[in-house]
Amino acid sequence: MSFEAFLIQTGVNGLILGALYLLMAVGFTLVFGSLRVVNFAHGEFYMLGGFAAYFTTVTMGLPAIASIPLAFLFVAVLGLFCERAVFRPFRGDELNGMIASIGLALILQNGALMLFGPMPLAMPPFAEGLTRFGSIVIPTSRLLAIVISAAVLAIFYVVMMHTRVGRAVRAMVQDAEVASTFGIHPGLVYPLGFALGVGLAAVAGAVMAPLFSVSPFTGHTPLLKAFLVVVLGGLGSIPGAAIASLAVGLIESYTATFYGSLAADGLILLLAVIMLVMRPNGLLGRAMRVG
Amino acid sequence: MKKNLAALVLGASLLTAAHAQAEDVLKLGAPFPLSGPGAAWGTAVLNGVKLAAKDVNEAGGLKVGDTTYKIEVVAYDDKYSASEEVTVVNRLLSVEGVKFFTGPIPSAGLLAVQPMLKKADAVAITLAFTSKAIGPDYPGIFRVSITSHEMAQPQVNWLIKNVGVKKVVGLFENDETGHAMEADTATAYKKAGATYSSEFFERGTVDFVSLLTRVLFKDIDAIELSGMSPTTSGLIIKQARELGFTGKIVRTGGPATQEIVHVAGKEAAEGIVVHAPINPYDEQMAAFIARYEGEYGAGMNGFAPFFYDGTRMMLKAMQDAGTVEDPIAVRDAMAALSEYEGVLGKVSWVGEETYGINRQISVPFYIAEIRDGKEKVVATCNVIVCE
Repeated sequence: MSFEAFLIQTGVNGLILGALYLLMAVGFTLVFGSLRVVNFAHGEFYMLGGFAAYFTTVTMGLPAIASIPLAFLFVAVLGLFCERAVFRPFRGDELNGMIASIGLALILQNGALMLFGPMPLAMPPFAEGLTRFGSIVIPTSRLLAIVISAAVLAIFYVVMMHTRVGRAVRAMVQDAEVASTFGIHPGLVYPLGFALGVGLAAVAGAVMAPLFSVSPFTGHTPLLKAFLVVVLGGLGSIPGAAIASLAVGLIESYTATFYGSLAADGLILLLAVIMLVMRPNGLLGRAMRVG
Repeated sequence: MKKNLAALVLGASLLTAAHAQAEDVLKLGAPFPLSGPGAAWGTAVLNGVKLAAKDVNEAGGLKVGDTTYKIEVVAYDDKYSASEEVTVVNRLLSVEGVKFFTGPIPSAGLLAVQPMLKKADAVAITLAFTSKAIGPDYPGIFRVSITSHEMAQPQVNWLIKNVGVKKVVGLFENDETGHAMEADTATAYKKAGATYSSEFFERGTVDFVSLLTRVLFKDIDAIELSGMSPTTSGLIIKQARELGFTGKIVRTGGPATQEIVHVAGKEAAEGIVVHAPINPYDEQMAAFIARYEGEYGAGMNGFAPFFYDGTRMMLKAMQDAGTVEDPIAVRDAMAALSEYEGVLGKVSWVGEETYGINRQISVPFYIAEIRDGKEKVVATCNVIVCE
């Protein structure tokens, strides 16, 4: 492999990572924006998306592409239920909402452990083989994962920008009080925002399941990365999350490739710390009201 | 009347005695990783311990002196984390009153609780790979697994001679276990004359494409997985093959074949050369594996029989010492066991020369190749040579 090809290969690896982080981070930041809850159970919804994909493709024998909308639906419905049962009492109460989400994460993870056991489950990839562009090699399954992520994000963008529902959710994220004076019903929009957010996590889980396998503990790393991305991009800011996730993917890929993966993890954390010190609201986050 | 009364009193006292006997319970502490990436090992060894307890209980319990004990395995999840280990071992010692431990298994976790175990004079078996796991300072700790320190050199010599690996990169988790294995593995490869380098990553990582891109750019002919977590091994194999790596993948550390085949799939796992702590074709071992799979449904990880034998030896030591109250006497009786007939074959303790105390299990081990998802033994090893 020539050095140029090596550089491009590393960049492509970074974009794939960025796409995964983006799906996770957009959902995470949407939930924070609408509910003001730092949802530490977000990784568990990713994990459940993976299991949903596993059972629809491997157990029920449906085509892989059908597993993604089904995972979204299943987890979004579960999200509606969780919002009602767990988060509604803590609406606007960031600290207690966060603690409740940690509890929910424990329940979901251990529930999955009891139901499915600790053994990781492998899923067949979306596609076999390698796609070559000159001397750059991309596993076709990963290429498809980017394409699917991009398509899902495009649909999400259209829904958020050009539908009544999307506008209502955005209005709620921007200013809940003013939005409700315009007749937007928080009782409908909060659960919707939450369901959409965790549904995106489920899509990430379903897309990544064939690459990384599925187990009750797969949600931990994506959650951590989503959290860092959101800290860098600004809590509650969707464009911020988009920029930050691609940046984190690329930084991670180049650092890991040239200096080893320990350096990459350290550098991302260092960046997050610097961001918190210099610009606590992140790249594109809004200053928060106190009290 | 008096006679009747005497009979009644006698009957009542017999009943109470029988009742007291039925209630005598011996608790074995089982701090294992039951969640997270180490869970595949944790559940396997816990099942090994439980099977040992079940066998003893079904045979009427453990008779020590005049008392018969029912064995109860008290399991806690240490999440493969050193801080969690301190919490659960503390709880086992102080709340559950346990003196006999069938864990911990992670190196970092064991090092964190060694002083606590020593203070309580507790007896423990472990598989922690760190060379600091056993020693004269901690006479109560017995290691029931062969570690990279014992097995790296003969296996690496065999690999270089028979598989023809020359330029090797070893991948390791960045913690006590990983660094301990890295030291042994690097020494073994360099001694055997291979071009060798190491890479570390954080435990629990799932995406290795960046790391592998870096590794493959070095133009190597083999990747060494040593004794990293089974799930992680499977992911690395899968992703290396996806990136088009066609060279050899070898694993000279602990058993993981079941999980590798599960995660990477049969095709990607084909031809990988692995360390096998047991020979599944040995008659006695095959019977044990069948029993294990009948009991727990899942395929067996190779560490399970080590903990089955380790637990049985600890229980045997209690019988030899005639007490379950004096852990020091049990420890000495356990150390005195030699040529113990277990499912692993004849088990003895060695290690005086390397560790300063005979607390290291000595059993043969094997090199196997994965063929159609199953291990096929290609060489039998001892600490000197593989043939």
